[in-house]
Amino acid sequence: MSQTYYLLRHREVPEIGQIAVYRAHGGYEALRKALSQYQPEELVDLVKRSGLRGRGGAGFPTGVKWGFLPKDGRPRYLVVNSDEAEPGTFKDRELIEHNPHQLIEGMIISSYAIRANEAYIYCRGEFLKGYEELSRAVQEAYQAGFLGENILDSGFSLDIFVYRGAGAYICGEESALLESLEGRRGNPRLKPPFPAVAGLYGMPTIVNNVETIANVPPIVTYGAEWYTSMGTEKSPGLKIMSVSGPVNRPGNYEIPLATPLRQLIEDYAGGLKEGRRLKCIIPGGSSVPLLTPDKLDTPLDYESILQAGSMLGSGGCIVLDESVCIVKASHRLVKFYREESCGKCTPCREGTYWMADVLERLEMGLGTQDDLAILTDVADNINGKCFCPLGDASIGFLVSAINHFRDEFEAHVREGRCPLGAKVYDTANY
Amino acid sequence: MIRLTIDGQEIEVREGTMIADAAARLGIDIPVYCYHEALGPLGACRMCLVQVEKMPKLATACTTAVAEGMVVHTTGPQVDKGRKGVLEFLLINHPLDCPVCDKGGECFLQDYTFRYGPPQGRFQEPKIQKVKDGPISDLILIDQERCVLCQRCVRFMDEYVGEPELLLEGRGVETVVTTVEGRPAQSQFAGNVIDLCPVGALLAAPYHHKARPWNIEREESVCTLCPVGCTTLTTGRDGRIVRVEGRPVVDRNWGWLCDRGRFGFDFATHPSRLVNSRLHGREEAAARTTREIGQWLREVVAQEGGEAIAVVMGGLHTTEEAHQVYRFATEVLGTRRLVVSRDVPGYVPRGLNGTFEDLSAADAVILVGTDPYESAPVLHLRLRERLKNRRAPLTLMGVAPRNLSRSTLPVETLVTHVGQEADVLAAALKEAAGDHPAVAALLSQGAGIARGIDPTQVSQLSRVLREAERLVVVWDGVEPDVEHVLAALAQARQGQTTRVLPTFGPSNWRGFERAGFDARFDALTRVLEDARDGKIRMLILWGADLLKDYPDRRLVEQAYERVEWLLAEGVFVPEGAEHFDAVVPGAAPGEVYGTYVNMEARLQIASPSVNPPGQARPTKSYLTAWAHALGKPFVVDEEWDPYDDASGDLLPEEPLPQDIEAIRAPDLPEGGVELLVSAQVWANGIPSQILEARLEAAQIARISPLDADALGIREVGVIRVESAEGVLELPVRVDEHLTPGRLLVPLGVGALPVNRLRPGVVKVQRLEEVQTP
Repeated sequence: MSQTYYLLRHREVPEIGQIAVYRAHGGYEALRKALSQYQPEELVDLVKRSGLRGRGGAGFPTGVKWGFLPKDGRPRYLVVNSDEAEPGTFKDRELIEHNPHQLIEGMIISSYAIRANEAYIYCRGEFLKGYEELSRAVQEAYQAGFLGENILDSGFSLDIFVYRGAGAYICGEESALLESLEGRRGNPRLKPPFPAVAGLYGMPTIVNNVETIANVPPIVTYGAEWYTSMGTEKSPGLKIMSVSGPVNRPGNYEIPLATPLRQLIEDYAGGLKEGRRLKCIIPGGSSVPLLTPDKLDTPLDYESILQAGSMLGSGGCIVLDESVCIVKASHRLVKFYREESCGKCTPCREGTYWMADVLERLEMGLGTQDDLAILTDVADNINGKCFCPLGDASIGFLVSAINHFRDEFEAHVREGRCPLGAKVYDTANY
Repeated sequence: MIRLTIDGQEIEVREGTMIADAAARLGIDIPVYCYHEALGPLGACRMCLVQVEKMPKLATACTTAVAEGMVVHTTGPQVDKGRKGVLEFLLINHPLDCPVCDKGGECFLQDYTFRYGPPQGRFQEPKIQKVKDGPISDLILIDQERCVLCQRCVRFMDEYVGEPELLLEGRGVETVVTTVEGRPAQSQFAGNVIDLCPVGALLAAPYHHKARPWNIEREESVCTLCPVGCTTLTTGRDGRIVRVEGRPVVDRNWGWLCDRGRFGFDFATHPSRLVNSRLHGREEAAARTTREIGQWLREVVAQEGGEAIAVVMGGLHTTEEAHQVYRFATEVLGTRRLVVSRDVPGYVPRGLNGTFEDLSAADAVILVGTDPYESAPVLHLRLRERLKNRRAPLTLMGVAPRNLSRSTLPVETLVTHVGQEADVLAAALKEAAGDHPAVAALLSQGAGIARGIDPTQVSQLSRVLREAERLVVVWDGVEPDVEHVLAALAQARQGQTTRVLPTFGPSNWRGFERAGFDARFDALTRVLEDARDGKIRMLILWGADLLKDYPDRRLVEQAYERVEWLLAEGVFVPEGAEHFDAVVPGAAPGEVYGTYVNMEARLQIASPSVNPPGQARPTKSYLTAWAHALGKPFVVDEEWDPYDDASGDLLPEEPLPQDIEAIRAPDLPEGGVELLVSAQVWANGIPSQILEARLEAAQIARISPLDADALGIREVGVIRVESAEGVLELPVRVDEHLTPGRLLVPLGVGALPVNRLRPGVVKVQRLEEVQTP
């Protein structure tokens, strides 16, 4: 399907990661425009008017967040969250591996807007290529005069530091990310104070997702009205959706918000592979409840998806077909959260462990009728009682799976085996 | 102030108060594991869930600040289910080995489960297995399976103590508390994590598998090993003290202890504990010894009157025991030669004595001579807590012959020569208030020169002396002239607060003073001189060990040799056993009821948890017997009360000292190494088998890296120290903190008889270097 790309622009251009190629395709022109035509406050206002919302998952309005910074003269920091580890989500990875300069350009503009002179990229530990690309691109930007002292004679100076995490999903949570960035164990911090008030090294800090920052240069180039012309009033603009599962063309797709889910699956991703029948869809990464096929016409914007019973989240759209055992899928996801729970708070640490074990037993055909009730109750004891959102994320899919596919869970107990013949692999080695 | 309602009760609290603390004020119990007021909120355990109206989810009471008009419910179906859920989670991987757990019966996991938990668990899967009885150090064990990961221990060591020796390793359900790189935790405050642990995860190794809560005597007591006088719980079992825990006192202390106090309780059961009477150097039946002593007393009193007898009070005795001895001496013997055993010459008048509340309220603290980390460890923690309070900045300075700064407590130190502290303080006082009559009187003999000290530092100190609203001086008493400077300072600062905390011992010296003894060093010296000069026929040491403690060993030897009768009561045989005609075994702390007065002049009650061992008897038993021998009536007054009606648990207030004594500028040593002494809790001569290795390691002199280098000593060696008074051989180690040109020797260690020499310049020579592995 052909379309004009903005965030994924130049994805067909080889070597776009080289600064010369990037500039030949109009790169760093938005930066020039921002520095020469805007005061920092005007840029904050521009982003506010564009209605851009955080693309990391929570969807908080970016301009509003920027406005929270206290004006007390303390140094400010911009931290870009590139710890993309949500199963089913791989949009930031493409952005930093393929076109790192657009992120750097967005960071410079954003730092200028919030008056930060130091910016950090927290790169997921497993993204070795992305880390190397970013490090290289940052060096190129320094050599080209886009970083360092007095950028483009604007009087604005900025240093960017690229930091590679050590492999923890929880460090995608902004306060755990800051802890890790400061060299400590990646556990989430108590809020308030929020990072905008006391973030990195106790200073006012803005933490934004890679995709969020990548949106800034196009907004500067084309204006807030262009941005709000797409999507809905509350969910304007563009979003990258990562589609995975048994579809013909899995991958990243840039869509105007409010594009129907059906269009994403059938047109963009080419529909399900031959012979496969849709079972359900996880629309926003592994942390959100599933949607059944009857919700296929839901527009992909924050409000509509919420109304349909799920969340847009990070835009990691996982397609599950009829061959997938829902119990096994639940087990696989809960196991992920068990492994990634930081261990700080009791319900998440112990609850994910408990649920994963029960689900494993169910999948092996060793479950009892009580197990379903226990699972539901354990999930309820986690729900809303954890320190950070990871605990709630661990039960999103499971609870919706039990609600929608209770028969399948019960069939596992009744038949003493998985009706779909799925196996818990690697049980001996988890 | 914020008004809110908790369980239907209205309360007004300060802004920023957490719901948990507001509820506690109303007497409403909200269960917590991770929260501790001294450590601040964490929000990890989720045990304190409460319902706040208009909030969509349950809130954690320990992390949610109060808000105007807030309505909180600490019970109700939602809260009850939330708590049940959390407890069920905590128990799924808990080994439930309560029957063999030291904490069984005094465990918050048991208590809360009983009160709030589910009657039955539903978890059928295998539990995670972790390390059991693993070491944190030689004194502390960890059972990682029982741990609820509340992080109190980790945060205490990291944030509160500033010695981050514990950490969390692994993640999720595999998370464990362990030590940094598996190295044993060496901090002297590490033992507090045992008290902080709400479950049976952190255990005292000496108490491991020793007792159950229902077969122990656990009594409120006071630690007597240093002048801080930490409040404790002492556990006795089968006639032996087996455990000491910290005891928090609301609004006064958190119940911290140092490991010296926590694990050093076994001196009372040490092999060298005196449990038999000794007569002329041999063990003798108690009755016979007491009878013999009675005859000597009768003889002396009959022939020359009571004034031929002097009593030196010391050791770890209670105020009541001292008062019994005072009454016996004055009423039965008829002597007024009643003094206190001292190891340093300084003295603090009651009128200057401050409290820990003064310390908390202080805006400036000056450490004179003393390093609280070594001399009064929990005071170091108090200073650190005070310094960390960002809302009220604290100026912390030091005047001492060595740098007092530590990584955990930065102190701007004016490094003086030995014996120069008073002069340097006087110089700063001269600059701050030279015109004040008290200061003029102090300086009338020409003191206040501060030779060799950076004038900007003196000015900085003078600014503190002038401007601090609430000044607290912590002093080790080594340099006696400091007393006069402090008196003048308090006079000159009329209108501002000036308070002093003495860190010298014996730990209950102020209690002995309250009981009627003269605690001034000069009084003790006069008694010893009179003994040497033949004016005293009998010298009685009640807990005192003068050869070990008194700074001039020669004078003590002369006195011992000259007196006709030399008697001692004590927990150990005093040094120079050959001099003593009789030694009788006394009771130790934890074996008698009584009060101790700490460095705040605060009375604190201790109840016994065991009886004295062997023939050891409480003071009154001996006194009653001897009074009988003298044929005089003597009834021990059990009703004597050291408390004063007006001053609560503090000793009666006294006015500031008025008479200011002039001090002289000291003769400063030229070059050479200066001998410097200091009281240290880890090297105070009181033995312990539990702490044997640590005590041995602390009983060593220290030199600076520069001097060590010059002597050719890398880490540890033996040196020969020579002065006009004599020669000593001392084991020595390098101390990074020590200023070049100083040799630091701990006081009161038998193996380091520094009282053979005088403080001042000594000649130092290397004897050998000891290779350390």
